[in-house]
Amino acid sequence: MITLNNIQYYYPKSKIVLDNISLQFAPGNIYGLFGKNGEGKSTLMKIMTGLLFPKAGIYQAFGNKISRQNISCLQDIFIVPEEFELPSLKISAYEYINSPFYPNFSREEFYTLIKEFKLSPNQKISTLSFGQKKKVLIAFGIATNTRLLLMDEPTNALDIPSKSQFRKIMASAVDQGKCIVISTHQVRDLHSLINHVIILDHSRVAFDQSLSNVSENLWFGKPSQAKPESIIYSESAFGGKAVLMRQGKNETEVDLELLFNAVLDQPERVNYAIKTSYDEKRI
Amino acid sequence: MQLKPVMTKSVFNIKRISLFMLRDLTILKSTITTSLYVVCGLFFISFLIRLRGDLVLSSYDFASVFGKFYIILGILFTFSVFKEAQNQKTNHLYFSLPVSSLERIAAAWLSTVILFTIILTVLGAIIGQLAILIGSMFSETSFHMVSIFSEEYWGAVTFYAIIQPLFLYGALRFKKNRIGKTLLSVLLLIFGLMIYNFMFYGILNHSYDVFSGEDLAAEAFDLTSKDFSGAGKFAFMGILTPLLLAATYFKLVEKEV
Amino acid sequence: MDFDNSKPIYLQIVDLFYENILEKRWQENERIPSVREVAMMVEVNPNTAIRAFTHLQEQEVIHNKRGIGYFVSEKGYDKVLDIKRHEFIETTLPDVFKKMGLLNVNIKEVNNSFNQYLNNIDHEKK
Repeated sequence: MITLNNIQYYYPKSKIVLDNISLQFAPGNIYGLFGKNGEGKSTLMKIMTGLLFPKAGIYQAFGNKISRQNISCLQDIFIVPEEFELPSLKISAYEYINSPFYPNFSREEFYTLIKEFKLSPNQKISTLSFGQKKKVLIAFGIATNTRLLLMDEPTNALDIPSKSQFRKIMASAVDQGKCIVISTHQVRDLHSLINHVIILDHSRVAFDQSLSNVSENLWFGKPSQAKPESIIYSESAFGGKAVLMRQGKNETEVDLELLFNAVLDQPERVNYAIKTSYDEKRI
Repeated sequence: MQLKPVMTKSVFNIKRISLFMLRDLTILKSTITTSLYVVCGLFFISFLIRLRGDLVLSSYDFASVFGKFYIILGILFTFSVFKEAQNQKTNHLYFSLPVSSLERIAAAWLSTVILFTIILTVLGAIIGQLAILIGSMFSETSFHMVSIFSEEYWGAVTFYAIIQPLFLYGALRFKKNRIGKTLLSVLLLIFGLMIYNFMFYGILNHSYDVFSGEDLAAEAFDLTSKDFSGAGKFAFMGILTPLLLAATYFKLVEKEV
Repeated sequence: MDFDNSKPIYLQIVDLFYENILEKRWQENERIPSVREVAMMVEVNPNTAIRAFTHLQEQEVIHNKRGIGYFVSEKGYDKVLDIKRHEFIETTLPDVFKKMGLLNVNIKEVNNSFNQYLNNIDHEKK
């Protein structure tokens, strides 16, 4: 379990980036961390890796206060950054020199993933495209078997078939002991993969719900005849989609893009709708 | 081929230090081999030049050639080990690797001082011997064994060991123009120490009228710099070197990326 | 697998299972892929796949043999046929009727179309 309590962060001489962030991450889930560009997704991930130190608040991972000086913490966290450069070595050499630092690293898993990504251990990393380098790092990150795996915009440099490969691999990577957090602004790429949504907006947590909770309480689609008061948010286009209170209607798939827009536009209404219908059921 | 993983959670583990050194050296492999080739060539040419006069490569000859390249290359090497920590695109992966700051400093110091000195000395000895061999084949030089260790050699090694932490710190402290900025700070530091010594000397010896006479400044500086060599060395070795290593450690601990 | 946005993904996975069983690609008492394999196949979170499996178990279409895996139930085919027939009559047909009314299509025309369709199939078989 990873807990963030009232985390605050700002860069020197600039406005606040993260304000009072409180979140909990449980193993066995894939969290989607969404937000517009520059809303602090990367900053939050860096804090969760110990690369940045929060100005206020507490961050604990697996019962320990996170610190870069705490080796057992770092052995259980891996981050795939959005932008990175790998040394110009063979893929196998990269694995050889970096893997011994991770006690639960599985070579077998790493080379299986490399193969699945259609790469070969003898390829020199410097000859690969950025997307392929990303695949190497994703494969390495999964194979470290850290309890927390953070990925910052993992699908950014991937082409369409690779995105599908990525989803397949992530679907098989998650198990009950692992917690995966994926940040993205490309909501569409990952909607089938994640089961919990966190939306950051204006430096704060605007939304934090499991998808099953969302689909239980909200309805997504093109309403034929909806009572105006049950509409939480609707696209302005003619015949556009809308978010409604579910109120006994058939369960629909959560339209993440629509939810994302709804939360940015009407954060209070969305959160209130989920809360009230949740409360109603309890009574 | 697989290295056994380090399971320990302690902050200081010899095995992890050696793995981290291996990692650093593997990443820098091509840079290291290129510069070693270059330095071998320079060694060879310089040794041959030294052989020309008296047909002997004395231990003094060896040390004076070795010393120059040794210190310059050492400083360049020191800056390259922290390159990963400074580059925006590599520092995330560098700092998230489960290795403690203490181990990172230890690894950097062991590679750039101990390992570097041993390797360069061995290389120097081999190239020196080769130069003598070639010399004895094409000139009147008679074959003899190269002698490495001399007071000058140890002088160079000690000097490097003393100033190296400064560069280690500079490599981590500055983001851009790291070598230039560090050299500038070194000069400022030496200048500051000289002024300090100068004043100290002046105050202590004022009653002896040391500053009387025509060439005041020149003489005074001469006297103080003589004094500096003893006191300055002590100040560096006894205080500054460990202090700088500690400063480098804390810089590493608090570095945010 | 491409998901249509209206139906929850887990129900779409359930439909995929129904289709495989109706078309006899998966026979009764035959072992079916594991949760993990299904999650990978359709690129979804394993939790979603688990939900589909649970739903299918509740419908008694599949059953779990501890430590071995999931199997199509003894009466799996009949169950699915029942469920799908129900769905067709209760939801698909009313939709069609509604459209017929809207477009003024009468049952005779539908009957003709249907007969023609049967004829075409017969031709293809020959």
